[in-house]
Amino acid sequence: MLVAGNPQRARAGLKRTAVLSARSTGVSGDSAASNRAHYISSNKGCRKNLAFRLRLILAILVAKVIMWLVRLLGRGKGSSLPGMVALKICPGILGCLARQARRGVVMVTGTNGKTTTNNMIARVVREAGYRVVVNTEGANLITGVTTAFLKAASLAGRVDCDYALLEVDEASFPRVTRQVHPNMVVITNFFRDQLDRYGELDKTISLIREALVQLPGTGLVLNADDPLVAPLAASTGKEAFYYGLGKHRQVTSLSAAAREGRFCPHCGRELFYACYHYSQLGDYRCPGCGFSRPFADVEGTEVSRGDHRITCRLRSPAGSHELVIPVPGLYNLYNGLAAFSAGLSLGVEPGVIIRALAGYTPATGRMERFRYRDKPVLLNLVKNPTGFNEGLGALLSLPGPVDVLIAINDNDADGRDISWLWDVDFEVLEEHHHRLNSLVCTGQRGAEMAVRLKYAGVPLDKVVVENMHRAVEHVLNGSGTTAYLLATYTALWPLERILSGYAKRESRAESLPSVS
Amino acid sequence: MLKVCHLYPDLLNLYGDRGNVMAYVRRCQWRGIEVEVHCINLGDPVDFREMDFLFLGGGSDREQNLMAKDLENRRELLQAAVEDGLVVLAICGGYQLLGKYYRTLEGHVIPGLGLLDFYTEAGRKRMTGNVAVELEIEGEPVRVTGFENHAGRTFLGQISPLGRVLVGYGNNGEDGTEGARYKNVFCSYLHGPLLPKNPRLTDHLISLALRRRGLPAELTPLDDRLEMAASEIMLKRLLR
Repeated sequence: MLVAGNPQRARAGLKRTAVLSARSTGVSGDSAASNRAHYISSNKGCRKNLAFRLRLILAILVAKVIMWLVRLLGRGKGSSLPGMVALKICPGILGCLARQARRGVVMVTGTNGKTTTNNMIARVVREAGYRVVVNTEGANLITGVTTAFLKAASLAGRVDCDYALLEVDEASFPRVTRQVHPNMVVITNFFRDQLDRYGELDKTISLIREALVQLPGTGLVLNADDPLVAPLAASTGKEAFYYGLGKHRQVTSLSAAAREGRFCPHCGRELFYACYHYSQLGDYRCPGCGFSRPFADVEGTEVSRGDHRITCRLRSPAGSHELVIPVPGLYNLYNGLAAFSAGLSLGVEPGVIIRALAGYTPATGRMERFRYRDKPVLLNLVKNPTGFNEGLGALLSLPGPVDVLIAINDNDADGRDISWLWDVDFEVLEEHHHRLNSLVCTGQRGAEMAVRLKYAGVPLDKVVVENMHRAVEHVLNGSGTTAYLLATYTALWPLERILSGYAKRESRAESLPSVS
Repeated sequence: MLKVCHLYPDLLNLYGDRGNVMAYVRRCQWRGIEVEVHCINLGDPVDFREMDFLFLGGGSDREQNLMAKDLENRRELLQAAVEDGLVVLAICGGYQLLGKYYRTLEGHVIPGLGLLDFYTEAGRKRMTGNVAVELEIEGEPVRVTGFENHAGRTFLGQISPLGRVLVGYGNNGEDGTEGARYKNVFCSYLHGPLLPKNPRLTDHLISLALRRRGLPAELTPLDDRLEMAASEIMLKRLLR
């Protein structure tokens, strides 16, 4: 659903919700104030009148039937349809179900790392012995969030959990928080992502800021290294717990092009950086107005990268620890720092958090590993220049010649505008092309991907455009020692399905039941 | 040797528009034409008349304002170069800036550089989506594709459009025009980016620059099958 793209519809839906719940219950399911009141007496469930209860039960019943049918037919993941239908039947359902989380709601939003961070927090909180509701993999619009609660709800509308842990799409954040009042909001970063859906980044950030102002008592966990994220505490008047990376030897800079926040968000001067980690993340200071990176409550130093993991030394109010994240990439270390900070803020013992994070396994598309005969096969989701540049960095760190597959779709969930591919630094492949055995382009915009590679200077005899099936066969049977697949969101599932027919999965995607 | 001027690459790095410079440079290099790229940021000195191709993209509001201020100081130099036949490609926000003014929803009039005869008004509805446009290049009709994403609606005065909209909104969603053309200045709303997806247009811009320098403008043909295949796929999707 295009929330930002269709404000009229969003507003109309809201009005209808308010009218319905006012008529049926006398208590608006939408207003932040009433949410708050209910939130405090949350463990009482939903005290609403009979008409509301009937709608609620009908909505849950229909949603459960849909979930059952989706499973029976084996079609898709059914992660948004049940929520969509339930919200139609009973518009106040989300607020009513979410209010029952005994210890509260944590939301993760931002551009990159939402799914990983949220799954990491889920792991931490479960390790600490709590029952949780989590929305699955990327189902982060209001419909997906609602589906997560519907899965966990009894037919009578009871949800038995301590925490609800929700990753929420940046553009959907205001809409979701009108129904669900989070105790804590974790904001990972703001990069350019799917511009045609969200309009410009500044607008997205200001909508999140306005939504936060409407949420009294909500605490923030913020990335100190992102000059677009860090000011949100001051501008919303909220308490924040900051995390970030200290100076480390491997300060990387693959990309000089996709930096988003190089200008001071307050006065517009170009920011001065003592160091960059990647994209606009780093130790920044404005020479004009004095705006600078805040002190990080949780800070990682002595970063060390391995093939399949990344580690650092951690300084926090709870002391000094060694943090091990068993997936590669600096961005995953950031996700780990966010999860550590969230866990600490929720009062989980640091030792428990460290143990939980060391056992993290990635969700679908977040660097999944397969094996075809003797050949390792890696599958990775890409959705914006920053993530893609990191993906290329990981690709070039692999030993031996690699067969590469790039699948680009342009459905709504991928972003209909694919011009961001020209902000990705594919030029690094020109220099390292001897390490690439073949580059197979596929998906709805595979041909344009091939054009991008051509202009990046990749030798044309290595570039192939194929349909998805043949593309997978091509990279699996290529003479390279590794197959590396990068796909946009909607290309990921078909690719994974085809791949599963040939190759053995090594790291099972962590399938998260909504209630543990 | 052609001198390519990339204006504000650090500021206007949205929507992959730098791909236009990449395409221009590569297609020169593939033919053995030497190119020198000058990246000009805020305040950097530059004499536009010495340049052969100038690219101006768009950015978000904040960046757009910074760029407008900087360009205002260079207005005379830019105008002289344009009248002298400098080849310019201006996309989206860069396009709007070359006109007379931009009127916001609240009715504020923000003056443009006034180099070309058109004006822009903010619209309530953002015009977003894939576009197909028919241009005329040296007397031949050429179909190009791209992606538009703008709230401003541009209306042309005594000036030709770049092309005719086949599918999409174009300048304003009303009169079927897309972009603007004045001397060797080409303006368009099309991201995508425009030039790599449409090699005929790129080559035309290279030829014009060579001609201005009195160099032979006949270009060696290149193998454009990949570009053509990609363009065909999108045209088929849009025009079916």
